[in-house]
Amino acid sequence: MSRARADDAPLGTFEEQILVAVLRTGDEAYGMNVRRELEEVTGRELAIGAVYATLDRLEEKGLLDSTRRRDRGAGASRRVFELTPAGAVALSETRDMRERLWQGVEVPRPSSS
Amino acid sequence: MKNEVARQSAPRLPLALLRALLSRAERDEISADVVEEYHARAAKQGRAAASRWLWRQALGSAPALLRWGWWREWTGFVPRANAYQAGGSMLRSWIADAQYAARRLRARPTYAALAALTLALGVGGTTAVYGIARGLLFDPLPFANEDEVGVFWKKQDWSEQEFLHVRGRVPGFAQVALYRPRAMRLREGDGPLRLVPGISSSAELFEVLGAAPTQGRGFQAGDDVEGAERVAVVSYGLWQELGASPDMVGAALTLDGIPHTVIGIMPRGFWFPDPTVRIWTPVPISADAETFNSTLVGRVEPGQDVRRVATPIAQLTALLVERFDYPPQWDKTVNPRITPVRDDMIGRMRPALLATLGAMALILLIACANVAALMLGQVHDRSAELAVRLAMGANRTRLTRQLFVEALLIAAAAGALGAGVAWGGYRLLARALPLGAWAEGAVPDWSLFAVALAIAASAAVLVVLVPAVSLWRGDLRVAMGTSRTGRLEGRGGRLESGLVVAEVALAVLVASGAALVAHSVVKLYALDTGVRAEGVGVLDVVIPTSGGLSGRRQTVEELTTALAGLPGVLSAGASQVLPLREGGYNVSLSIEGQPNPPGMSSEFRIVTPGYLETMGFELLDGRTITADDRDETERVVVINQAFVDKYFADVNPIGQRMADEETARVVGVVRNASERRLTDDAVPVRYVAVAQMPWVDEAQSFVLKAAPGADLVGLLDAARRRVQEVRPTAAVRSVSSMSSVLAGAVGPARQVVSLLSLLSGLALVLGAVGIYGATLHFAARRRRDWAIRVALGLSSAGAVTQVFNRGAALVAVGVGLGAVAAAALARLLSPLLYDVATLDPVAFVGAGSVLLAVGLLAAWVPARRAGDVDPATVLREQ
Repeated sequence: MSRARADDAPLGTFEEQILVAVLRTGDEAYGMNVRRELEEVTGRELAIGAVYATLDRLEEKGLLDSTRRRDRGAGASRRVFELTPAGAVALSETRDMRERLWQGVEVPRPSSS
Repeated sequence: MKNEVARQSAPRLPLALLRALLSRAERDEISADVVEEYHARAAKQGRAAASRWLWRQALGSAPALLRWGWWREWTGFVPRANAYQAGGSMLRSWIADAQYAARRLRARPTYAALAALTLALGVGGTTAVYGIARGLLFDPLPFANEDEVGVFWKKQDWSEQEFLHVRGRVPGFAQVALYRPRAMRLREGDGPLRLVPGISSSAELFEVLGAAPTQGRGFQAGDDVEGAERVAVVSYGLWQELGASPDMVGAALTLDGIPHTVIGIMPRGFWFPDPTVRIWTPVPISADAETFNSTLVGRVEPGQDVRRVATPIAQLTALLVERFDYPPQWDKTVNPRITPVRDDMIGRMRPALLATLGAMALILLIACANVAALMLGQVHDRSAELAVRLAMGANRTRLTRQLFVEALLIAAAAGALGAGVAWGGYRLLARALPLGAWAEGAVPDWSLFAVALAIAASAAVLVVLVPAVSLWRGDLRVAMGTSRTGRLEGRGGRLESGLVVAEVALAVLVASGAALVAHSVVKLYALDTGVRAEGVGVLDVVIPTSGGLSGRRQTVEELTTALAGLPGVLSAGASQVLPLREGGYNVSLSIEGQPNPPGMSSEFRIVTPGYLETMGFELLDGRTITADDRDETERVVVINQAFVDKYFADVNPIGQRMADEETARVVGVVRNASERRLTDDAVPVRYVAVAQMPWVDEAQSFVLKAAPGADLVGLLDAARRRVQEVRPTAAVRSVSSMSSVLAGAVGPARQVVSLLSLLSGLALVLGAVGIYGATLHFAARRRRDWAIRVALGLSSAGAVTQVFNRGAALVAVGVGLGAVAAAALARLLSPLLYDVATLDPVAFVGAGSVLLAVGLLAAWVPARRAGDVDPATVLREQ
């Protein structure tokens, strides 16, 4: 199995979205919250399984890190994510690339809606 | 907890699905979040919408979660946040369980070794025996449609004349071939002359067998007539030995001094009629040849079964009677029978193989029972440990899995050991059983090895599951309680006792079978053969046919003299057939001055002077054959006691005259010897002088008596060299001793008895281990009970008696059951038995009492130890 690394492959769209959602949720970046955040922004329903699978893959790639935080009832804890430096680099590179790609490009608006 | 309550009101099914798909480390966390969200949605949009959402989440997550699970297993990825959470990768926890089980086994080396060794012996042994038996009993013979091929009755008793009379018109048969063994002297370049076992046959042979050479051709019509070109078909093995030249077909080969052209090479693995035969030549069939020395083998019409040709056989005998007059002793119309080719070739081996196979299967059963009993003892002891671990929060699945892994580890060790046992045992068996060259084609059967191992492993796993079941039933509090009190006066261990009883019973079964066969062999050896086999060496020699009758006589005489002159040899002689080897001539006779009803005959042996003395025939009256009995002197004959009893009951036999072709005078009477088979009654025999006979056989058996203390093997080697010096054209076919001829006559039972003794020894050891283990375990369970008694001032003798009685009871029940089973199954062994009833008391009492003795001893040792209880220690321990 070949492992994609931050420096040799651009992020997938969903990966990018997840990473941005982790940034947006800040300290509350646990799986369910990331899912909710994305749903609210994109307006489409997401399966929690897909979110967790991607979070895991990003952690394995070294773009995310997870720790446990005890913030509800006794004994229960949540796995909370944050961007690693490599994750931040990958995200900003993706963003730069996107912006370069869009420079001077106008999308013709459809004449009728 | 609030979440618990909340989760209960959420729809269970989608939640359960989600939980099942999630990894254990995150299951609770994620489902709690999902439930939280569900309730939030239920409050906002109503329960129905929230439920639909939950279903969508569960079903929508399934593909991603399944992939995710596999991905984690595959990469072994553990999120940093989960590093200290329970349950990581499945694979890792299995490895950890294996390591734990290995540690536990190392801590109990005796138990681990016993269990693995027991299984290995059972599994390996069964594989070895089956490897040999399969080839002989089940594998197809190297002939096409073997069910269509059968051997005619009266083997080696058909003449070419008879064959020609019926050739091509045997009812019911597509083809019939005639064949007879013929050892051929083969000289290769300047190399030494060697004897190659071969077959002379009519041209139909390969068609009857449904086999064709891989190179060249088989025989064809016209190969077997007088004056045809001399041709030969060689076996693959012989071709290889002769250099595997690609030009072999068409090359010349000198056989018996005559050049033959090689016309074909048979495929690898082909043999007929036994694997030692390496060359086949057509025999020039003559209508005048009246020698009864050939065998007929035929193939029925395609699709027919050779076992169902009764009517055609009757037609065949009618055909024979049309032309030939049979004296009663050679009457071919009596008991005509076609034997399927497999039965003909393997029939003698079958009972021995089946007996061994049966014994091996029993050993496998004993091994399974033994391992089961051993494990059961272990897991009983562990119930306390399991209860404690469970109470401390251990996972039930995990505990069960650890037990399971432990059983698998033992099975794996047994597999490795068993493979060695299978290989070694197989080679041992190939030598010990009367297989001859069949052993070459047999290999250990590794697929059976896998099956046997699987059976044994399943037995181990099943046993392990007994405590696992109680684990799941949740009666561990009881287990903890009883383990603390040592199950005061509890009974328990019923399954363990049952297993031990079964083990003992099976051991009795094997041992009594072995004892039956052993008793039979002892009886066979005790039979009076009439000759003294000790110190007698045998050389089977094929003498050259050149020089005619006088040349052959001279060769026999010169070789006898040369052998007798070897240092360390007391005397030597020769005969065309030795006692205890089947075969030889039966010649008609008439006695002067008696009515002589038709059909009078006796066995007929042509011997040299010194032969009767060398073989240790006891002279009862008159003299034996001497060097003075020449061609030109009066023909003499020595007869045996059975001859006297039958034909000279009322007169002094010495001086009586009788005739076959010429008149001969009786000069001596010797004691009866087993001239035919060991177990046949004595038959009348005439011994006549080779110097006075109008024919001398090519095949001669020379015998020599070694001086006391002389080395027979060295002597035989010297004798072989001496034969080559005196007659370089003679070929020594084999060198053996009369003792091995006797052993051969005792038959497969002799070889089987050593094997069965070995197996019953094994059964005995396994049985003893089982009894010892069960008794020890029984004692251990009651230690506390006795400690209390001893502390109260009672003697410890009661403990000893109780433990011993318990063990003894198991042994007694086992022996009893085993004896009943043995009595029921003993008649299966009857083909191997001679003069021993299948309910032979000697064998049964012998086997039963040995097992009883060993079993009681195995119970006594732990019982003695049970008496040494120190109440202070025991009670403190618990």
